[in-house]
This record gives sequence, structure tokens and C-alpha cells, in this order.
Amino acid sequence: MIWFSLAFKNLVRRKTRSILTVAGVAIAIAVLYSLFQFQQGYQSQLKGELGALGAQVMVVPKGCPYEAATIALHGGKWPRYMDEGLLDKVKANPGVLEAAGVIMDAVFAPGNKNVILLGIDEDYMKLRPAWRINGHWFDSDSAVIMGSTAAQDAGVKTGDYWVVPEKNVRLHVVGVLNRTNTQDDGFVFMPRKTLQKMSGLEGKLVLILVKARQVEKTDALVASLKASEVDMNVFPLSELLGTISSLMASTRVFVSAIILIAVILGGVGVLNTVLMAVFERTREIGMMKAMGGSRGDVFKLVWAETILTTVLGGVAGVILALISSRLVEAFIRGMIPYAPKGSLIGFSLPTMAMCVGLSLVLGLVAGFYPAFRAASVKPVEAIKAE
Amino acid sequence: MDRIQGVKDSRNPVSGQNPRTPESLNPAVMARGLVRTYRRGAEKIQALKGIDLDIKRGEFVGVVGHSGAGKTTFLNLVGLMDRPTAGRLEVLGTDVTRRGVRLDALRRKNIGFVFQEFYLMPTLTATENVLLPTMWGKANGEWRMANGDSRGAGQRAMELLKLVGLGHRLTHKPSELSGGEMQRVAVARALINRPRLLLADEPTGNLDTTTRDGILNLLLALNRDSGLTVMVATHDLSLESRFTRVIRLEDGNVA
Repeated sequence: MIWFSLAFKNLVRRKTRSILTVAGVAIAIAVLYSLFQFQQGYQSQLKGELGALGAQVMVVPKGCPYEAATIALHGGKWPRYMDEGLLDKVKANPGVLEAAGVIMDAVFAPGNKNVILLGIDEDYMKLRPAWRINGHWFDSDSAVIMGSTAAQDAGVKTGDYWVVPEKNVRLHVVGVLNRTNTQDDGFVFMPRKTLQKMSGLEGKLVLILVKARQVEKTDALVASLKASEVDMNVFPLSELLGTISSLMASTRVFVSAIILIAVILGGVGVLNTVLMAVFERTREIGMMKAMGGSRGDVFKLVWAETILTTVLGGVAGVILALISSRLVEAFIRGMIPYAPKGSLIGFSLPTMAMCVGLSLVLGLVAGFYPAFRAASVKPVEAIKAE
Repeated sequence: MDRIQGVKDSRNPVSGQNPRTPESLNPAVMARGLVRTYRRGAEKIQALKGIDLDIKRGEFVGVVGHSGAGKTTFLNLVGLMDRPTAGRLEVLGTDVTRRGVRLDALRRKNIGFVFQEFYLMPTLTATENVLLPTMWGKANGEWRMANGDSRGAGQRAMELLKLVGLGHRLTHKPSELSGGEMQRVAVARALINRPRLLLADEPTGNLDTTTRDGILNLLLALNRDSGLTVMVATHDLSLESRFTRVIRLEDGNVA
């Protein structure tokens, strides 16, 4: 379309200024895309991670339940333990179908890589119907099963021997898990007793995962577990999801305000730039009118220029957000206590459409006044103006 | 009267007007008691103090006078870029002082403007600059002539550039053209919509003597060969002999 090609040529003419204006919009839109996608990704990934636990209820030692949740989901060292005897009490509850006691530890492999060790038994396996072991289950106290990523990082395969970093204990890799696309991929599993001994935590547990006999009676189960023992923290995972989600939702207001400010600032920047350009081009606009251009024609041209600027900015912003997603994610992760693993800022067509749509609206709004000013230029005065 | 298919268009190649239509009997410009007053702060400036004159179709008129005499004001009124404060003005048979007359559409269809400063769009090629007046007034943005000519506007732009002697400069940008060449592009641009009145305000003011003569000869040729009514405002009194008629303005009055 000639209108847009003419508008585009006008933008190219003031290259630096146009690039800066487009960059301003791009940054605002990139922030919008990143934060919006982060919120969305956070929700869905969190749901996925909790689902992958294969349990409805989590029993952890007394302490901050969110810290406990983070440990349960991502593994790590946590200086709080409960007595292994609690596991039997939990199993004895009639509402419990399965209960798996887990002990955890974390060691540093060469290259400062964190290796998460999980001590489990057959009960854990029952919560993981989707597991496919390339090899077989533990056949001795020195057996180890590795998650696919963990095996890759350690450079071992089924049948190899693996020396636990820091502990200097040699274990036999009896199996490697097929990729599960859950947090399990990064873990190293060994018999609970082996890890307890290795870490000097005999008779201790970090976490008990509980599968309810009747999912709809989870609340009753939680209540009865809470009543039976005071030394542990019992909470349903749905509640955890709800709590973390509402925590995120409360930040949404704040985040939306930031986005709004960023977008408004971008819009004001565009308005200012286009208005300046209109003032500078007063004579040229006067000439267009002398050549028969109507108010509407001039209005359209300036509007087209503004819309082109903001839409270019919107597209550039989405691309910028996708390119910088890892960086932004790392940044946001550093700011909040818990974030699910995996890529949170991903490719999303609806969000992209929303961002580009918003930049279009931004152009329509920001361009209106400059276009009106340009349309109001009187040819005679414009051509006289020096 | 419908034109017969296959018969060569008898209209003039530049102006597109048919010399035998009755409307050609109206004067191109008729001014009666034309007054234009400006305000500069508290001061009231009377640029035109009551002009009475007729300009016939096909004339090659020089509007001469010192700067401040009212030449540009007069041309702007005739060119429908401005409205008079008082008096009556008819341009090509239309009373433009009447309320509700859409000046931009009339201007687009009937009037070609050439300025001292050329005012070419620096981002566009010579051809695109010539085409610029054809895109106004269209919803969908296309090069199409205001008079609804079915021939390709691009084709006409190239023909006009050839006519003004710039057939070899079609794709050059203004920055690659000399002053005289830029003014020729401006002349071609003024002709693209087949105007019936060509107005030039100090068209040679920024040009050296040789180039100046070239542009004047071009305007003269357009007038002579196609009957286009041409009005040239100039303060250069040495040009007077070139015009078929001279209107001398002095302090807002016809001298």
C-alpha cells in the first residue's frame, strides 16, 4: 500500500530517531510479553511438577512449608528431618493407599554442579507408574538408578560404576530412567538405607509422599494425619498449588501496574517523537495540502507512520522477549522464592497476538493527536514558515 | 457527448481541457474587490486592498512587484490555499468565496503549484514525487489521477518527466538532482492531475540565470503548446518581457 510505503520511507528518513522510538516500544512490549508469559508458564509448569509427584498429600518436618515444597519438587539439602518411624504411622492410616518415605541429600560434582541424591524404596516406585527403567530395580545396597539428565551429566550408562562426589562411595548403575520430562530426570536414586548411611542420617526422612485411597477424601485424610502426629507438617498438594498461585496472583496487580507504566511511557515517547516530526515537517505537510491533499489524507499519513512505528516496536518486542527469555527468567527466578523448573517464557501465539494488538492500539492512540495537528496545518502558513 | 472508441483523444495532452467546451468561455480567474487582511499580533496587515481583475484562459501572466507587494497572497487565493477576507473570487467558473466549497478537492483537480523551494519529498524518486498528488483523496491509497483518467498514472508521470526533459532521471532522488532539475520535477508534479491553471510562485528565485531561462521556457512552452493558463509571480523585473500579460502589484493594489 502506498500509504504505508510512504510512511515507512518517512521513518527510514529519520533513522536514528525511528530506531530509538521503535526500541522504546519494543522494550515495553518485551516486558509485557515476558511477564505475561512468565505468569502463564509458572502456573502450568507448577501444576505439571505437582502432578509429577504422583501424590496428593505431602508430609514434611516442621518448618516453612514452602521451603519444604521447594525441596520436595527440586531436591536439595535441608537441615530438617523427621523420624523414619513416622512413615509406619502414616502407612497405618486407613485413608492412605501408598506412602513413600524419601531422604535427600545434595553434593557438588566437579564443575560445581549440584547433584541431588534421593534415597527411596519400592513404595516410591508405586507413585511412578510412568517410569521406564533402562536396566532394573536396585539389586543391592550399592545400586543406583539415574535420571536421564543426571546420567548424561555424570557420563554413565547402565552397567557402569559411579563414584558419588564428596562421599567417595562407588555405586553400581543398575538402571537409567527413560526421559520423563519431570524433575525426576535430574535426580539420582539409591536405596534409602544407602543414602541414610552415606549422609549419616540413619533413621531420618525428609519427606513422605502420600497417595490417598480416595482422592475426594483427601481433606479428611489430611485432618486425620494432622491429628495423629504433632511432629510433622501435613498438607495437600492442591493447597500448595493454591497458595503459591495466589501468591503469584497478588504479584500480578503489581506486575500489571509496571507493564501499564512501561506501555504508557512507550506511548508518550512515540507521541512526542511523532509530534516533533510533524512540527519539523510543517512545510512539507503544507506542500502536500497545496498538492491537493485533504485533512484526511494528511491525518492518515501521520497516523500510518505512528502505527507503523508501534507495530514494528511490538513485533521487535516479542522477538526481543523470546531472545532474552532465559536471561529474564534467570532474573525473575532470582527475585522470587520458588519457581518451577523448565522454560517458563515460551512461544505463545495468543500472547504474541495480544502484544502486537496492544502495540497497534498504542499507535492508534499515540498517533491521534500528532495526526490531528498535522491535518490542521494551513498550507499558506506552513509554506510561509521558515 | 461520449467519445467514440478508437478515436484519438482530442483533449490537450497537458491540461486535458477541450478548447471547444462552453466552460472555456469563463475567465480562468475573476477577482472583484479582493481583500486579504492578516493579523500579526495587534497589528493588522492588509496584504491585498481590493483587487479587480480578470485573467482569460490560456494567458501566460506574470504577477510582478517588489517583495511585500501581495504577489504570494494573490497567488495563494487564486490557488485556493487561502480564503479572501472580503470580495469575490471565481476560479475556473467556481465562486470559491461561497461557504461550503471544498477547496482541497477543487485544488487537486484543477490547480498545479510550483514553489520557489521545490518542496520535493526527499525520500521519493523523481517519478514518485510526480505521482504524489495522485494519491490524495483515495481511501485505498493508489496512484490514480484526480480526474479519473484510466491510463496508468505511472505512465503519465514518466511522460511528463520526459516532457520537462528529465527522461533520464526517473529514479533519481531529489538529493541527486540539480536545482533546475528539481524545479522541473516540481513542474511535472504540478501537471500530473491535468490542471487547468498552473501557478508558480518565484519558480526561478533559487536558480541561476541559465537554469532560470530554461524553466521559464518550459512554462512558456506549456502555455503555448497546450493552452494551459499559467500565472508566474516574480520580483525579477527583467522577466517581464517573457509574459503575454503583466499584472503589476504595488502595496496590495494593481498598479
